[in-house]
Order: sequence, then C-alpha cells, then structure tokens
Amino acid sequence: MRDLPGLPSRRTFLKASAASAAVVGIVAPATADAAPAPAPLADYKPDCLKPTEWAFLMAAVARLIPSEGDGPGAIETRVPVFIDKQLAGDYGKAADWYMAGPWDASADPLRGWQTPLAPLEIYQQAIPLFDDWCKATHGKIFAELDPATQDKALTSLQKNEMKIKPELREFFTILLGNTKEGYFADPMYGGNHGMAAWKYIGFPGARGSYKEWVGKHNVKYPLGPVSISGERG
Amino acid sequence: MKTFLRIIGTLVVLGVVALVAFIFVPVQRTGPVTKLAADYQPPKGAGEYVMRASDCMACHTAEGGKPFAGGRAIASPMGVIYTTNITPDKETGIGNWTLGDFRAALYDGVDKEGHHLYPAMPYDSYRKLSEEDVVALYDYFMKEVQPVSAQVPETKLSFPFNLRFGLRAWNWLALGDAGYKPVQGEDAVFNRGAYLVEGAGHCAACHSPRNLMMMSSGSSEKDAAFLSGGEIDGFTAPDLRGPASGPQQWTTEQVAAYLLTARNAHSTATGEMALAIRDSLQYLTKDDAMAIATYLRKIGAGKGAAPTAEKVEVTPTETLLSDAKPDMQLGPRLYLDNCAACHIVNGRGAGETFPALDGNSLVDAKSPKGLISVILHGAELPSTADRPMKLRMQGYDNRLSDEEVAALATFLRQGWHNKAPAVSAAEVKTVRDEKH
Repeated sequence: MRDLPGLPSRRTFLKASAASAAVVGIVAPATADAAPAPAPLADYKPDCLKPTEWAFLMAAVARLIPSEGDGPGAIETRVPVFIDKQLAGDYGKAADWYMAGPWDASADPLRGWQTPLAPLEIYQQAIPLFDDWCKATHGKIFAELDPATQDKALTSLQKNEMKIKPELREFFTILLGNTKEGYFADPMYGGNHGMAAWKYIGFPGARGSYKEWVGKHNVKYPLGPVSISGERG
Repeated sequence: MKTFLRIIGTLVVLGVVALVAFIFVPVQRTGPVTKLAADYQPPKGAGEYVMRASDCMACHTAEGGKPFAGGRAIASPMGVIYTTNITPDKETGIGNWTLGDFRAALYDGVDKEGHHLYPAMPYDSYRKLSEEDVVALYDYFMKEVQPVSAQVPETKLSFPFNLRFGLRAWNWLALGDAGYKPVQGEDAVFNRGAYLVEGAGHCAACHSPRNLMMMSSGSSEKDAAFLSGGEIDGFTAPDLRGPASGPQQWTTEQVAAYLLTARNAHSTATGEMALAIRDSLQYLTKDDAMAIATYLRKIGAGKGAAPTAEKVEVTPTETLLSDAKPDMQLGPRLYLDNCAACHIVNGRGAGETFPALDGNSLVDAKSPKGLISVILHGAELPSTADRPMKLRMQGYDNRLSDEEVAALATFLRQGWHNKAPAVSAAEVKTVRDEKH
C-alpha cells in the first residue's frame, strides 16, 4: 500500500483510532441501536460538493463497491457522506500536510504527493474534465451512463487513458482510497452506516480487548461489532 | 392560683436568664495541653508538615484562588459555608490572632471575636493536635504564608442554623478532651497512626457516619461506628474497618501505597479521596503512612493480621463474559463493549493502573452516586511524587444512555463477588443533571 499523505497507512489508522477512542466524549451523542436514522441519502445536503460533483460521486462509489453482490455496497453504507465530510474538513484542504513543493508530476508515486492541489480541489477540477471526457467518448456524463459503460469509463480513468493533466493524476487513486475508507471507517465519520461493512467481514469493532479469546482456537467470536460512539451490531 | 402564677413567672425569668447566659456568656477556651518552654521553637518544616497532614489548603483556598485566602464554597445540608481567609493579613486574615486565638479555633471552634465556627471546620478532630503541632502550625501561618487581602463572602445559613450560639450546645456534645492520649498497650507506631487519623487527618469527617445532630460517630477507635463509613455530598465514603473493607483486605504496605500514591495492587482513589491524597496524604513520610496503615488495620476486623491470600477462582460472571454469547443481558454486554479492555473479564483490573471492580468499595457502595459519576464523567488519578502519572479514565456520558448506565452499574454491583442493590435510570439521570 502506498502512503500518500492523508491516505492513512495501517499504522496511522490504528493511531487515529486510539486517539478517537480517547476523545470519544466529544463526538456524536448516538447511543446504541436507538440512534435516530439519518436523513435518506437522496435528501442529504452535501457540506462542500456541488450538485454535479455529488451526482458523480454517488454514481462512482456505486460502481467501486457495488450494491449487487453478497455484501453491502457503498450506497447503503453512505460512503458519499463520508467523502463529502472528509473533503469539507482538514483532509479536503490538506490542512496538515506539507504543501510547499516542489512538485514533480513525473516523479515516482512513492515520492508522495506531487501536486499543489488539495484533495477537494482535485475532485472539483477532475470531475468536470472526466464528465467531459465521458460525454465525448461515451455520449453522456458519467452519472448518466449505464453501469457497464461506467465500469469501462472508470477503468479508463484508472489507466489514465484520457491523459488527465499531471496535477490531477491522483484523482482515481484518492477516489478509490476514500471509498474504501468510507466503507470501513467508524460510523461516526458518516460512512459504514449501521456498521454494515464490519458485520460483512466479521470485524468486531472498537471493543478494546479480546484477551480471553487468545487461547480459544477455531472458535468463531460470537458478538457483533461496537462502534466508537457505542452502537451495537 | 396566685402562687401558681408566681412559680410560672419565676420559671420564665430563670429560663430567660439561662438563655441569655447561653447566648452571651463568653466561650471558655481550652488552654495548651502541654506547657512548652517559653523559648520553644518548632523544628524547621514542622508547621508545613502539620498543614499538609491537616489539609488546611484544600478548604481554605478557592478554586483558582491564592493559597489560604479562603472563599471556597462548602456545600452542607444546612446551606453553603464559605471558608475563611487564614493568611496572616491583618485586616481580612488572621494576622492579628495570638497563639491563644489560633488554638481556640483549632480546639474549640471559636474565632478571635468568640464567634462559633461551623463544624465544617473539623475542630472536633483538630482538638487532638499536640501543643507542639499547634505551635508549629501557628508559626507556619504567621511566618511562611503570604498575607493576602481578600474579603470572603459571608456565610448565610437559613434559620435556625444561622444562630451560631446554637453550636455551643453542639460543642458540649461533640467535643471530648483536648489533646491525644496514647492507647496503653499499643506501640508508638500504632499511636502515631491514631494521632494522625483521629487528629490532623480528620478522616472521621468523611469516613464516620454522622448522627441526627450531624456529629461524627465517635472520635476514636473505641467507638464501633468510628470510620465505619459515612456520606459526603451523596457519595459514600467507605467503611475502613469491616472485613470486606480496603484496609482489612490489603497489606499494611498496600494501604500505605494507596495513601501516598492514590493507587495500589487492588484499587485506585477517586473523588474526594483522590483530592485528599493530591493535597495532603502524599506529603506524609513513608513512616507516617505506614503508621496510619498499621492503625487502620489494627482497629478493623482483621485486627492487624496479614490478609488471607486472594483466592483465584473463575466466577460465573467471568464465565458469562468470556463466553460472550450474543443473547447476554444488556449489563454484561455493555461491560464487554466498554470496560473489559482495562478492567478485564475477571473484574480484577491491573495493579496500580486499572482498579479491580470485584470487591471495589466504590462499586459496592451503599450510594451508587460515586459509581454512576465515574461511569458518566470518568476519573483521574492525582500525580504524586512516587507515581507521577495522572492515569485517566474517560467518561461515557455521550456514549451511554441513562438506561444503559443503570444496566451497566447494576451488573457491576452484582457481578463477581459484589452484592449491592440495583441502580435505576432515574438515579443516573439525577447524577447526569447535576453540575459538576
């Protein structure tokens, strides 16, 4: 896994989880199963994305983690909400990254972030370009294409067949990364609604310790997950 | 008929005279319990040590205020009592007080003008201070404390508690002989411990039950109720003498470690006790802490014998938690989701870090307020010289509802070996709604 700034490595993710656990006192008042259901995704008012950007995001994540299949998709788990909230916050602004250059778009990706643009700016600039490309290549903007064509278009984007400008070269990478994060992050950040992704893979959540299970071999852990805000699955 | 009226009249006159005398005759002050040489000088540092042992600073310093300048509001069942300025400032403090005035405040609960002090000032305990310690303390306040000019708010209790002369009767009943009389047949360590506990430490102020007159039960171990547990602001101050109490379950070294560092192999201090350790007990010498521990262990059910080794057995509660069956009740489920990582399914926690909840006096307390408060708001260990780390437990007030806290607290109070009554959501709501 590549360590782009802001794309958390396993280690920073664990650190962040511990830190979030420590400040749990200031997060959402959600409690257990009684938490009120959030507004339907269709009625969600994005914090930072414009309608065309939101439409693209809804369509794109639905193809990256589709709803048809044996697990929950990005739409049911409200991944677009997670991404919108992250882009509206420090991540979207690259607020705590080194952003003073120099940037070299031809540098090996292992050399890290090679664009002066913050993630939100990349989304804002890349989406219209990609929609234009879709229209020119497939006849419609991305959100209006049929799923099979959308898959084709996303594959082209991943392979950079459209030769997107160098400052935007990370677009597909962060889109895919943010989608996975929204799928698996704690529900307090807006995604992983109902801890559905955790239930699907059998992750028991933010319970602190399983010491008594260390010696139990080949026994399935029986309890559902628990989230940082105390939701029980 | 005439004779009858005359008798009634005489009685009324006598009664009025007695009442007037009761109100206006000056209070008798207790003199020094030992005669010290005229040129007696307390050893260097002795005064500050007595101040620490007596924890004067805790009450006589307002939140964020200058040391000893008073003004802290002490909530009492009768109303708010404001502590006084005891810096040597001549106008607003005690700068004009003589040693005799100072001793009278400690021994008799009267100020320089002869007004009775409210017994929020534990003069029923300070009355046991030796003359050496009284002089050392006086010397400290006069010479080492910075004078601060600060007028404190006037204490205004409601009727009849605003009539300070009423305290005269209270004093007749509550106060025994001044000074500490060593217990015959006990060694110097025991007697040093007794002197500190019954006198400067004023442990009974919280740890002894108070009777209807708000008097501490007993002033020494001779009274069975002494240190058998009390209540402070709705919180239970645990029993120190019963067979299940901390001092009787722990070794002398462990009791001393608790007093000096707020933590030991079994438990940690919370609430008022954490403050008492932070501000007072941690400054005691190791010898004095051991003396207190020796005394407390000797006067309890264990009679000073070494505690029986802890039985390590798997309780049904531990099995329930280890099996983690999805159909378990809400209480144990919440324990696994929120508590088990640190306090462990066996309820024994980890020494000097995470207190054991099995047999924990806070968990098992008569009043569940302390337990509810810790679950909602968390707790923090004070930093002490030997153990500087302020270990903190987070609060769960945003994570658990009143019903959930009640279910969790009830589980804790009845899990492992604990046997305490259940907790209701209404009790949790009361604690949650209180300002803290």
